[in-house]
Amino acid sequence: MTEFEDQLRRALERKDPSAGFAARVMARTTQKKRPLPWVNWRSWTAAGIAAGLCLGALGLEVEHRRQVEQQEGQAAKAQLMQAMHITSAKLHQIHQRVRGRL
Amino acid sequence: MIGSLAQEVGIPQAVAEADRSRAFEAAVREHQAMVFSVAYHFLQDHAVAEELAQEVFLELYRHWDQIESREHRIHWLRKVASRRCIDQARRRKLRNHVSLEDAPEPFTWMPAADPVLKRYIEQLLGKLADTPRLVVIMRYQEGLEPAEIADVLDMPVATVKSHLQRSLALLRRKLSFASREGES
Repeated sequence: MTEFEDQLRRALERKDPSAGFAARVMARTTQKKRPLPWVNWRSWTAAGIAAGLCLGALGLEVEHRRQVEQQEGQAAKAQLMQAMHITSAKLHQIHQRVRGRL
Repeated sequence: MIGSLAQEVGIPQAVAEADRSRAFEAAVREHQAMVFSVAYHFLQDHAVAEELAQEVFLELYRHWDQIESREHRIHWLRKVASRRCIDQARRRKLRNHVSLEDAPEPFTWMPAADPVLKRYIEQLLGKLADTPRLVVIMRYQEGLEPAEIADVLDMPVATVKSHLQRSLALLRRKLSFASREGES
């Protein structure tokens, strides 16, 4: 160890921070960080889940309406077919009677 | 039923938290001079060094469970303090950097009185570039061997030795020049 290195060592001796340093650090450990609303990932997650649920509900509603309309259409088609069937039968009967008289 | 269960779980947690808090405070008190001094000798600004040292300890608090031993803690603190010093210097561009080679020679020799000489050496050290300055701090403040410095600063041992040799030569030259000026 040269004299110069010894001088360096003395110049670089450890120094204490100002009084109460440890207490200030401890105080900061108990502080709860308040995240900004736009950086709070929980808020974003909750908003995402809510948006997903809304979209899901909307999709279900649209699908439900489509199914109801399809069922109504099928029912109307069945009624029409039945009406045509009855009409056809009546016409057939009339036709038979007319032929019988002739 | 639920209340008693909460008590059974809650009380040991509170005790563990209190123990952790006490152990952490003891660690802060033990190592505060080391961390603060690394920051102070590097940044040469008391307030900024103290803020940086606080940040280092807060980071230690967050990683407390990962620290395995006292030696690990010391190594971890040196490493984090060094990294933060470099980051701080880069971010703030603290000073208009003048390399030691370009620093003006002092007009008068500083008397050998220890406090003045110490301050003068600190000022010269402040003119070194960031990495060599940290290497010198780790060597002469912390008393680390080149291999240990290489481990703390994540660099090859040969680089550490090179930084040390160049920095010491520069500092010695500046000091001897000042000494000759003072004598003549």
